[in-house]
Amino acid sequence: MSTDLGAALDGAARRPGAPVAGWGGAVDGARRADRAEPAGAAAGAVATASDRAARIGAVTIAMAWHLAIDLPALSGAGTSPAASTVVAAAWLVTAAVGVAAGVRLLRGGLPPARRLAAVLLVVDAAVFAAVGGEQLFATANWVWGGLVWFFLLVLWRRPVQWLLALLGAHAAIALIVVVADGATAPADLARFAMYVYGTSSLPVAVFVGGGALAILARDRAGTAAATLVVEAERVAAERARTERRARLALVSGTAEEVLAELAAGDADPADPEVRRRCVLAAARLRRLIAESDDVPDPLLHELRAAADLAERDGLPIELVAVGVPPELPVEVRRRLTDPLTTALADARGSARLTVVAGPDEVVVSLVTPDHDGPDTSGPPGTTSPPDTDGDGEGPVELEHERDGEIRWTQTRWRRT
Amino acid sequence: MDADAVAQDVTGGPPIGVAIVDDHPVVIDGVRAWLAGERRLRVLATGDDPDVVLRAAPEAEVVLLDLRLHGRMVIDKLAELSAAGRRVVVYSEHTDPDTMLAALDAGAVAFLAKHEGREHCVATVLAAASDRPYVPPALAGAMVGDPRPDRPALSDKEREALLLWFQSMSKASVARRMRISEHTVKQYVDRARIKYTRAGRPAATKAALLARAIEDGLVRPEEIGIYRSQASTDRPTP
Repeated sequence: MSTDLGAALDGAARRPGAPVAGWGGAVDGARRADRAEPAGAAAGAVATASDRAARIGAVTIAMAWHLAIDLPALSGAGTSPAASTVVAAAWLVTAAVGVAAGVRLLRGGLPPARRLAAVLLVVDAAVFAAVGGEQLFATANWVWGGLVWFFLLVLWRRPVQWLLALLGAHAAIALIVVVADGATAPADLARFAMYVYGTSSLPVAVFVGGGALAILARDRAGTAAATLVVEAERVAAERARTERRARLALVSGTAEEVLAELAAGDADPADPEVRRRCVLAAARLRRLIAESDDVPDPLLHELRAAADLAERDGLPIELVAVGVPPELPVEVRRRLTDPLTTALADARGSARLTVVAGPDEVVVSLVTPDHDGPDTSGPPGTTSPPDTDGDGEGPVELEHERDGEIRWTQTRWRRT
Repeated sequence: MDADAVAQDVTGGPPIGVAIVDDHPVVIDGVRAWLAGERRLRVLATGDDPDVVLRAAPEAEVVLLDLRLHGRMVIDKLAELSAAGRRVVVYSEHTDPDTMLAALDAGAVAFLAKHEGREHCVATVLAAASDRPYVPPALAGAMVGDPRPDRPALSDKEREALLLWFQSMSKASVARRMRISEHTVKQYVDRARIKYTRAGRPAATKAALLARAIEDGLVRPEEIGIYRSQASTDRPTP
């Protein structure tokens, strides 16, 4: 029996993923990836919050600029009433684009970039054409500096190349008008270059900086959340280990007692009572060895509790679990375990409780020797119709049967 | 009439030689006692070092190997013996599915949990000696719960038979439950096991299991091939 005790200690100390099987690490990796999901979600939440602040900032800058700088520039713009009308209409269209894009952004969406960018380019070309001549570099030509902030709004979270392309088009329109007006003197071209640089650099910096900040925020939040997940796992594993040690102490106590009595000759191996105690102690040890999960699983925890209870009433019970159950809603777990705990109450002689779990299926089964006693779990000698009860997570089937040799209760959940 | 003559009378051949490797003398004595009740088997050598034991009895047809010798898992030794064509039945108290599947991958003919008892032990050794599969319930559980993405593709019937066999440990009950014969239950279970000969590294023992399964009509060669048809695997062979 000393081998069994040694094995129990080994089993308690061993962890799954120990370098026994080459693919154990892969399984562990997959499980860790499952648990990393909440970390990703938390990082996403932080990134969303920081992105929202950037959106509010961009919308505020664009609208404030449009009202405080572009609007005053309208007075005296245009050399003719027709030109003034065009410039004013363009201001209104731009304001409408700004409101539309701003509402989308503040609601967490993205504006239709291509369509709005096209509208802005039309506005751009119209205003340049209307102001022309001597007002080209004057404040009256508000699109020079004012429109770029709207580029920022309509291209939010799009690749930076899109913004550069739009700014390029903006500069090209300006250059065409400058050249068409005959302002090709070096001083004019230098002024043009300065305007392009002066009006583009700040929006590009805001655009790129905003994106980079969001990425940084996501990374940092992700790291923090992953650290928390690892820590939570460590604490859970620690608790599982402590629980297992406590049970090992209890189990070895009863096993040692029987062994000591046998060794001292106080207990007779032929005595049925002594044999029953040996069977009980061995069953407990085996259950302990079979426990290999490093994080307590609620389903197995419930089944173990039921098994412990039945064992206290003197029923040797074997609990074997294969696989890692997925996270199940309480209701599904209850449907899986309740019929078995009921059946355990009727069990005589011995019991074998098994769990086979995969990501999409969990099957729990209890097999006990059949006996003449009453059967509270189902009608004797027949298979009860599968009791399927659908809910969001998939139904749980219950099957119960007696065949004169064994009583067999099985619950099965499948993901639908 | 000596024991060998009796065995010859029963089986029509000499008894099957078995070597037992375990580092606990009490376990060796126990297993020896189990096998002694079976006339078709004879224990030739025992010890705690596979190399020493097999030097003493090179003619042993089946090696019963404790997977943990002197505190170390001997999966590599198991792979070496299997590659050399030794029929190794692993028996261990380490019945977690990872370990069992790793042992199959390394070329073990069968895996027996130490608590599974005499009946399974004798049946496993007898099957192993003729390169036939024997799947005790614990191994069935490991196979049906195999989470590896590259696990062999089992048919629904094979999976169900493995699952119910693992749960009930009674082929008669599985047969009643599935409304098929006990023989067919065994075929489904054995066929699932044969599909595992393709998992892990190649070994002489795996090839022997596969060859015998084809010879017995348990599987058709195209069923185990990489390009097997899923539709054709569910029909028990006659």
